[in-house]
Amino acid sequence: MTATTALRAASRVVDAVKVYGGGDTAVRALDGVDVSFPAGRFTAIMGPSGSGKSTLMHCAAGLDTLTSGAAYIGDTELGTLDDRRLTLLRRDRVGFVFQAFNLVPTLTVAENITLPLDLAGRRGDREWIDALVDVVGLRDRLHHRPSELSGGQQQRVAVARAFAGKPDVVFADEPTGNLDSRSGAEVLGLLGSAVRDMDRTVVMVTHDPVAAAHADEVLFLADGRLVDRMESPTPDKVLDRMKAFEVRS
Amino acid sequence: MNASIRLSLTSLRAHRRRFAGTFLAVFLGVAFLAGTLVMGDTLRAGFDSMFGEATSGTDAVVRGADAITTPGEAQGVRRPVDTSLVKTVERVPGVAAAVPNIQGAAQLVGSDGKPVGGQGPPTLAGNWITDTRLNPYRLAEGRAPAESGEVVVNRGAAKKGGLKIGDTTILRTPDPVRVTVVGLATFGGQDGMAQVTFTGMTRADAEKYLTARPGQAASIAVRAEPGVSQRDLVHRLTPVLPKGVEAITGQQSAQENTDMISSQFLTIFTTFLLVFSGVALLVATFSIHNTFAIVVAQRTRENALLRALGAARRQVTAAALAEACLVALTASLAGLAGGIGVAAGLQALFPAIGFPFPDGNLVIKTLSMVLPLAVGIVVCLGSALLPARRAGRTAPLAALRETAVDTAGASRVRAIAGSVLGALALATTLTGVLVSPSVWLAGLGALLALAAFVVLGPVAATTAVRLLGGPLDRLRGVTGSLARRNALRSPKRTAATASALMIGVAVVSLFTVFGASLKATMDQTVSRSFAGDVAVSSPSFGAGGSGLSPRLAPALQRLPQVDTAVGLGRGVAEVDGRGRALTVTDPSALARTFDLGAVTGSLRDLGTDGIAITRKEADRQHLHTGDTARLTFTDGRTEGFTVRAVYGQSELAGDYVITRAAWAPHRTQDADTVIAVTFKHGVGTDAGKSAVRKVAARYGNPSVQTRDEYAQSSAGGIDMMLTLVYALLALAVVIALLGIANTLTLALHERTRELGLLRAVGQTRAQLRAMVRWESVLVAAFGTAGGLGLGAFLGWVLVKASDGASDTAFAFALPPARLAVVALVGLTAGALAGLRPARRAARLDVLRAIATE
Repeated sequence: MTATTALRAASRVVDAVKVYGGGDTAVRALDGVDVSFPAGRFTAIMGPSGSGKSTLMHCAAGLDTLTSGAAYIGDTELGTLDDRRLTLLRRDRVGFVFQAFNLVPTLTVAENITLPLDLAGRRGDREWIDALVDVVGLRDRLHHRPSELSGGQQQRVAVARAFAGKPDVVFADEPTGNLDSRSGAEVLGLLGSAVRDMDRTVVMVTHDPVAAAHADEVLFLADGRLVDRMESPTPDKVLDRMKAFEVRS
Repeated sequence: MNASIRLSLTSLRAHRRRFAGTFLAVFLGVAFLAGTLVMGDTLRAGFDSMFGEATSGTDAVVRGADAITTPGEAQGVRRPVDTSLVKTVERVPGVAAAVPNIQGAAQLVGSDGKPVGGQGPPTLAGNWITDTRLNPYRLAEGRAPAESGEVVVNRGAAKKGGLKIGDTTILRTPDPVRVTVVGLATFGGQDGMAQVTFTGMTRADAEKYLTARPGQAASIAVRAEPGVSQRDLVHRLTPVLPKGVEAITGQQSAQENTDMISSQFLTIFTTFLLVFSGVALLVATFSIHNTFAIVVAQRTRENALLRALGAARRQVTAAALAEACLVALTASLAGLAGGIGVAAGLQALFPAIGFPFPDGNLVIKTLSMVLPLAVGIVVCLGSALLPARRAGRTAPLAALRETAVDTAGASRVRAIAGSVLGALALATTLTGVLVSPSVWLAGLGALLALAAFVVLGPVAATTAVRLLGGPLDRLRGVTGSLARRNALRSPKRTAATASALMIGVAVVSLFTVFGASLKATMDQTVSRSFAGDVAVSSPSFGAGGSGLSPRLAPALQRLPQVDTAVGLGRGVAEVDGRGRALTVTDPSALARTFDLGAVTGSLRDLGTDGIAITRKEADRQHLHTGDTARLTFTDGRTEGFTVRAVYGQSELAGDYVITRAAWAPHRTQDADTVIAVTFKHGVGTDAGKSAVRKVAARYGNPSVQTRDEYAQSSAGGIDMMLTLVYALLALAVVIALLGIANTLTLALHERTRELGLLRAVGQTRAQLRAMVRWESVLVAAFGTAGGLGLGAFLGWVLVKASDGASDTAFAFALPPARLAVVALVGLTAGALAGLRPARRAARLDVLRAIATE
């Protein structure tokens, strides 16, 4: 942790606890997690099913609330915000890429990309958006509907949308889970180049070692706790680390 | 338990909410229908027992045998009987008592100076019959009239006019008579015979004011001695009666009275209500069909899985139908209970608004329960039939595919079928309206037009919503744009949802346009035919009111400002075998105040044996000037009248005109319905009007109106009718609303993930609510626009068909202000329908929504 405190945190959680249900059936999805996602870095979160990786992301992104502890986007503590402010924060300072169903089917590609900006009634940085469209390679598809695109193309649109408003941080939840390996590699490449070439911040939840290897750092979660972290990951190193979980369980 | 039924039961339990709208639609329709039937039966039974009780002491009634009934009148005019006949009747063995019943029209003036009643039910007066058992009225307070000028008033009329015992007021007979209330009476235990007002006077007063000459009575009421049956009594009476006079039993007379009330009031009333429950149920059909269609579409995967697991087509269809059946049954049963509640509520409400609802328990006949139940179930099952069949046809493979909502646009077949239907509708209608005028053909065309609109709905939906929603993008940005595109998602569904509202709005617009056209027609008629400066009339409606004093016109004529004052009286006679209304007046003065069109012959000297006829009637009977028309009067006499003039315009002057002198021997109670006054040259309208008003005040204070005011008040009844129609149609609009709300809720359910995504990327709850509301408004706007178009077209058809089928020239008028209000109501309805679904959608938990399968 000492290695990252030097960098400004785009998002962080402090002593995060999330409990689902109550009494005997209570499940501690997050059990005192302290983690900081530095700005300008690509962080992957890994862990076996039920490790709490998705919960961590949802709470950090303001989609879900913590039972105790605190989550920050920049210096804003999410727990102090009501639903409206939380929504505005998501709209203006956070980007999302989900596993599937990222696009509104009635809107065109162009409209989907600018949706958060349009909802905010902002024009946004048109040159930036223009550049994004070229980066994701969808210039000739701008006026198509999502249903006319392949799965990989749809995820690329989602990536463009996530970065359109120049958010503090983009959260990606298994962005390649529904894609074949070639399309998946394209999407991961986009995320990686956004961080390295455009100075953006990405936090990605994944269970795929190959995907995780695109990140600058991988955090490992198990049973709601942060158990390990790995700088400069490679697929093999990640796979080995993951196998350790399986052996243990 | 049967597998299909078990499936439908579990699915109903799981999706209770989805059927809430369907349940409510069926419930409301059935409740309205059952309520109408129960109320009708209860009213009928109430009147039956009321008349039975009131006239139980009368064993026989002696009266004129023939009645002359003019078109549009429920009760004919009977020849009066001589009061001298009472003596003859009294001498018949078995007769205990016989009294003359003198009756006429007379309207009381209330303590506020305004006439009491007159808006429909008759305003009657008669001699107060002292034999308590023969008098249908009972003295409840005070005493019977003993001297001239003393009267007993039925309690309901006294309440309405604010009259108490000891009060003095005016009775328009129509000659104003100063009377003092000395007693209050009840009828069959009630405050009155429904809304009929009754004033009982001494026999001498009644003879003086209510009959043309003394010694005449409307009928003779007879009481039998103990041991003599009603039938016996009639048998004994019949031989002593002169020709043209008959005796009937008391029971028969009571029955005739109830029948009269039934046909005049109850039947119209209940038919009216039934028509509206029909409209409501039609609207409900669309809503229900839509709900089932969506539910089946949403359950494609589930049904496909069932099919893959080996469920037969029939079983899947049966499960869907069983579900519909269960909803239909529970909703209809609840509707029956609701209907009884509605009837009980009305029974309690009516007396509160001054309408005596006869006492007694609610009469719940088998038919009034079975019929609504059957209608409810048939409507529900019928609406579910097609969706259920579609459920059965689900391919097992559909389980593996993504759930696809039916987003297909309108098919080419639909467009072609709709166009053909539309063309057929137009052709039929135009033929029925323009080529060979026929109301039936036009009606068929109207029905076809309705069908064409429904079939073409999905075809039109895309373009219409794009057009209507165009401004939304600019006004509401991405929220408006999303709303518009959501409304466009499934044109079929949008159209079906809008159809329900369309029908409601179409019926409202139809009545609005027809009402406005009637008013325009009335206006046109008055301005074309009425050449006078002011009209004096006593505003009344139906059988109410007593008209104007026949002495008023001569009194006005004597005013220095007045050039001509001509009163129009009303007489009846049978001409060519049919009852006809006669206009009794001074024909030469008539020609000066009314535009009679082209006249052949002369109206100047009709004398006592001359008549003027409209060209239309003359043509029908092949009469020319100089020919003889034979008129049979209520006194049984037939006389020949020479046709001295044939005129073109009948609208206000009537079809037959005779002189007062010619009518005098046959007259009953004298009254003018309207007096037309023209002023001398140089007399201003205001000055003349106030002079006329001053004189009129001495004759029961009828209203004095300028030409425009007269035209407007002639059309006053139409507004009243329209208000009633609007109130009833509100139900249909409410059902349509439920439909929109329901469809929206189901559609939003389908879009749960999308809503979650929108919220995740920053759509606020307020924006989401606005998006849903605007979608609802758009669907409503589509339905409203269609309804306005269809309604205006049907209104035009109705006006033109009426124009072609009747003698009156109908004018067609589109009332823009009123139609704008209708449009506004439609849009507001849409916004309201969207409220609840919007709130529910906004409450969605973002994470859970995204995770939804």
